[in-house]
Amino acid sequence: MPSSDDRLELLQGTLDMLILKTLLFGPTHGHGIASHIRRTTGETLVVEHGSLYPALHRLQRDGYIAAKWDKAPDKNRELKYYRLTAAGRRRLAHQESRWNELVRAIGCVMTPAPEV
Amino acid sequence: MLRRIIARLTRRGSPSDADIERGLRDHLELEADSLGKKDVPEQTARLAARRQFGNLSTARESVRDVWRWTWLEHLEQDMRHGWRAMIRSPAYSVALIATIGIGIGASTTVYTLARAIHTPFPALPQNKLVWITYGNARCGVDCTELSPAAFAAVQQRASSITAIGTYNWTAALRGAEGSEPTRGFMVSPTTWEAIEAPFAAGRGFPNGAGDAGGATYVVLSYEFWQRRFHGSRGVIDSVITLGEQPRTVVGVLAKDVVFPMVADVYAPFRVTAHDANDHASRYLAVFARLNGDATVDRAAAEVRTINAQLIRESPKTDSGWVLRARPIADYHTDDVVSLEAIAGVAALLVFVAACLSAANLALARLSTRRHELALRAALGVGRWRLARHLLTEAGLLSFAAGALGAVLARWGVRMMRDAIPANFAAFVPGWARMRIDPHILLFALAAALLAMLTFALLPVLRATRIDLSSVLAEGGRTNAGGRYGTRMRATLVVLEVSIALVLLTGATLFMRSVRNMIGGDAGVRLDHVLVMDVTLPPRASDSSHIDFIRRLDVGLRDVPGIRAAGMGTSTPLSNNFGGIAFDVPGRAPQPNGQPLTGIGQQVTPSYLQATGVRIEAGRGIDDRDVAGAQRVVVINRFMADALWPQGGAVGRLVKIGDSTWSVVGIASNVHHGGVDEEMRYTMYRSLYQSPRNFGVLAVWTSADPDSMRDVVRGIVARTDPSVAVGNMMSMHAMQARHVSPFTMMAGMMSLLAIVTMTIATVGLYGLIAYSVAQRTREIGVRIALGASPRNILGHVGSGALRLTAVGIVFGLAGAAVFARLLTSMLYRVSPSDPGTYVEVSLGLLIVALTAAWVPSWRAARVDPTVALRD
Repeated sequence: MPSSDDRLELLQGTLDMLILKTLLFGPTHGHGIASHIRRTTGETLVVEHGSLYPALHRLQRDGYIAAKWDKAPDKNRELKYYRLTAAGRRRLAHQESRWNELVRAIGCVMTPAPEV
Repeated sequence: MLRRIIARLTRRGSPSDADIERGLRDHLELEADSLGKKDVPEQTARLAARRQFGNLSTARESVRDVWRWTWLEHLEQDMRHGWRAMIRSPAYSVALIATIGIGIGASTTVYTLARAIHTPFPALPQNKLVWITYGNARCGVDCTELSPAAFAAVQQRASSITAIGTYNWTAALRGAEGSEPTRGFMVSPTTWEAIEAPFAAGRGFPNGAGDAGGATYVVLSYEFWQRRFHGSRGVIDSVITLGEQPRTVVGVLAKDVVFPMVADVYAPFRVTAHDANDHASRYLAVFARLNGDATVDRAAAEVRTINAQLIRESPKTDSGWVLRARPIADYHTDDVVSLEAIAGVAALLVFVAACLSAANLALARLSTRRHELALRAALGVGRWRLARHLLTEAGLLSFAAGALGAVLARWGVRMMRDAIPANFAAFVPGWARMRIDPHILLFALAAALLAMLTFALLPVLRATRIDLSSVLAEGGRTNAGGRYGTRMRATLVVLEVSIALVLLTGATLFMRSVRNMIGGDAGVRLDHVLVMDVTLPPRASDSSHIDFIRRLDVGLRDVPGIRAAGMGTSTPLSNNFGGIAFDVPGRAPQPNGQPLTGIGQQVTPSYLQATGVRIEAGRGIDDRDVAGAQRVVVINRFMADALWPQGGAVGRLVKIGDSTWSVVGIASNVHHGGVDEEMRYTMYRSLYQSPRNFGVLAVWTSADPDSMRDVVRGIVARTDPSVAVGNMMSMHAMQARHVSPFTMMAGMMSLLAIVTMTIATVGLYGLIAYSVAQRTREIGVRIALGASPRNILGHVGSGALRLTAVGIVFGLAGAAVFARLLTSMLYRVSPSDPGTYVEVSLGLLIVALTAAWVPSWRAARVDPTVALRD
């Protein structure tokens, strides 16, 4: 596990996008979302739980995701599963394209194409 | 989007706290589980999970926050803060709420009163009605009524208006329990359509009503319907006997309809062909409805043309008379316009005083809160947030004050409505309906809120300018909020004192005027006199009237307890009299070509004795003066001196109508309309020579007049059971009724003056007490250096004296202006009466100095050791 100094601060507003993207693969619970992000970024991005849950509730409030209490597959307990709504899908598409735009733009500045 | 907003507003979909809690706990468990898989002991895993998660309650709060409608929650927070601030300084809060509340209450009440006067017919379409008057320069506001000829001309020739005429009508209602006099009006048959009068039951007069020989109808007022028929609908289409005439009840007016004055019954009349040529008797109060989109101006122009035609048609009677179409609001304002202006100004002054006082309190509070505000600013509370706190606090206080003001105003208006003297109310229909205009109340609330907010914001504006280090260096001891604050507070107190002086002066002038009115000699006996209205059946002949009067006269003689009793045609001080035009043969005509006018009274021989009128020369009306005998008249001293200044009035002739009357005596002067009215020519004739079907009976008793009521009633009933007796009261009561509008006005002004004076005094007290508290150390030093308590007392007291004196000087100037408004309502008091001004100034000075005495005395008692140690 990298030390906390090596972890990257999430850019403002990107957490929402990450959550929506994670849920694109299917409904899961809060912990599942957090561990998915941690795993796929190779422990680089660790979502602060203090920001994950407010973000989840914010997305739910705004209608981008929906929540439902459901039986966990392995255990005998109920977990709160979040799933993407149609509005969430549109939101994700929108955010993703903006994100790509941003990365490209930043990339242009940071690693300029060689002059011809 | 909208749905989301609604969802937010209603917090729909918001998870419960338990739900949030559970979600977070599950997360912890899952975390612990995943750590547990890496062979860490469960306990450690849990702790690690917990550590990683951080503060659970913070997380819970942040989740909660997502769902909150934040500004509302902040408002709630500010409210709680404001509430705590209010509770923390109860004296300040109570003082502020009481001041503003009383200010709003008093000014709303008084302004409502003023408005009631200005709206003559609240239930009717004000802007579609006009008032037609026919006057001349000489009689001014007193004559407004039209002759039947003039009315007919307006009715037929003016195309922009539909004119309706009304005149007083008195008839006794016959019932199983005896007769009851009614107050009525004869009105044009189309009156109700023209004024759009709403009906509680039934309808207006049918077509053809009022035609000679046709069926007769009557419309009842709501109050009369309730009182006499207990609101029964069965009365519609039933026949009642008014006077001798059976009339079919066709309708009952809606509750608030009063037209043109308070009345019980209305019957239709039409101007007959014969009456249409009568230019001389002016008795019709005429109103009109604007047709279509006609304006008052157009009606006025048309009426001017008709005026010229009338003068051409009958120059002898109509030249010099001015026919006018006026806005209906004029109807009551001729006499009471100043009353309205006075009430309005007084209301405004009280309100301003209340606002000044509130400002003063807010400033005082600011100086004690400076420290707190500076500290909070230093701790990083934003300016906006600080402003919001203070605004919310001010808002809370204003709200409480507004509620108090509304309650007080409601109570005040109700009290006023009940306290309105009946004779006054009868002239101002608006009274009956008087209630708080929500607009006025809202205006007062808004103004108070604005005043409060302004002064709530002052601290914020200044808080940002507060030099932190200096305020905090004071170590919590507050100073006066700077020289600026103290000077401003002093200015406010000076203004309050000035306003108090203005209102006190007004109230005192009124009081003096009322005292003069009550103490003034109207020339009639007030003690032991019982008066009443007597209404005879109208259709009976003159001879039967004479017969009744003679039998009543005989019946009232030699009754134990009755010294003298007689009938006349109107009671002095009853605001009721019959005017007559007359000529003196051989006398050069009046410069304006008008006949002379005076008050005409028809009396029985003992009437003058009963009412205390003395015969100063010649003889009074006596038993010789009967129908067929020589026509005689007794005139009052005023008339004798004015028309025959060289004396020898007795034996002269007076021409009334077509008949000639000989002056046989001169009677003492009577102020028939009350001492506040000018003296008029008065002529007494014998009721036997000029009978009437209505009259008044005056009974001079040897015992308490009220104890004779039943005796007198019994005698009248025995003489003729069909005769109605009404409005029985003692002359003292009659006088009280006469002056009651003035008494009421004086009482109201006094109340306002006292309220304002209290506000000003409290303000002064507060300022002095505060400055003493601020200067404790300085005073301590002075005492330590040898100042005597007397020096200190003088030092502090002179400050108070100076403030009050400046306030009084400004106030005197204001009072002089205000008093000019009162001029027309004052009797035998000059609006610039020096005694009043001196008295009021001294009074206010004494009250103010007494208020300042307490803190000054406290200052003189300052213990230097304590003051210097603190």
